[in-house]
Amino acid sequence: MSEHDDSHHGAAASRARRSDRSDEHNRDLTERVARIESLLIQKGLVDKAALDKLVDIYEHDLGPMNGAKVIARAWVDPAYKRRLLENATAAIAELGFGGLQGEHMVVVENTPRVHNVVVCTLCSCYPWPVLGLPPTWYKDAAYRSRVVIDPRSILAEFGTTLEEDVEVRVWDSSAEIRYLVLPQRPENTEHLSEEQLAKLIDRESMIGVRKVRRS
Amino acid sequence: MSEPRRASPVIAEMTGACALPRQSGELVFDADWERRAFAIAVSLAEAGHFSWPEFQQQLIESLCEAEQRTPQNPSRDYYESWLVSLEALLRRKRLTVD
Repeated sequence: MSEHDDSHHGAAASRARRSDRSDEHNRDLTERVARIESLLIQKGLVDKAALDKLVDIYEHDLGPMNGAKVIARAWVDPAYKRRLLENATAAIAELGFGGLQGEHMVVVENTPRVHNVVVCTLCSCYPWPVLGLPPTWYKDAAYRSRVVIDPRSILAEFGTTLEEDVEVRVWDSSAEIRYLVLPQRPENTEHLSEEQLAKLIDRESMIGVRKVRRS
Repeated sequence: MSEPRRASPVIAEMTGACALPRQSGELVFDADWERRAFAIAVSLAEAGHFSWPEFQQQLIESLCEAEQRTPQNPSRDYYESWLVSLEALLRRKRLTVD
């Protein structure tokens, strides 16, 4: 549990960094792929529009940006926030995000007195449609057991220290219920638009291991 | 909500050497050809021209091959190995021959 970001995980880090290919090499690779693509299109094995759609799905639906939009809306729209806390599945669907397979979403709100953090102690249940792919540490046995026994020590590893009198609530996601944390809106962000607010919100804050900071 | 839009966990959650390069959960593509090569493989697998485990096996082999020089400094990067795998599988399945 020393690293909390996938991009720091050994080989993944070197693979995630921008490549240092030459322009010429890139052109060559581009041509190789274009050749395959046009041949497969000719043979009717792939479809250009379908490829575009796949790229769109994988590029945009794997990250936490849908969840960030939900949280930002809740921060700026009190009526939406009420609906979100009452029936998260429906409120999230209002923004066009869904695709859950029968699981219910429950949103838990952080306040000055209560801090919520989410885990799946059994496996790695995670609200895919709003948070994308779970981070590696979320699936670690260490996180899954320690966050239940001693949540404050886990939070401290993420750089989150809470006042003694703040109550920490740990929520165990399951096949039926997926939890999402509604983090506290940082101070002095009244001037920011909903879109700008969404950019501040990362997946760690929606799992509950970090607070949202004014960047 | 319109039609379901959902990435396949089998693909998105590959682990180990063949895990997709990601940053904060999102996929990282350095060039447009990488996107295209990614989508072609996923599309062919979805259509049943090969199974995902078949592609994954090929990808593991290509990545290992690339790492034989030194694991820290492989002879080609992740999506170059992806492309090599795709080409090899297309040949094997005779999908790009007339």
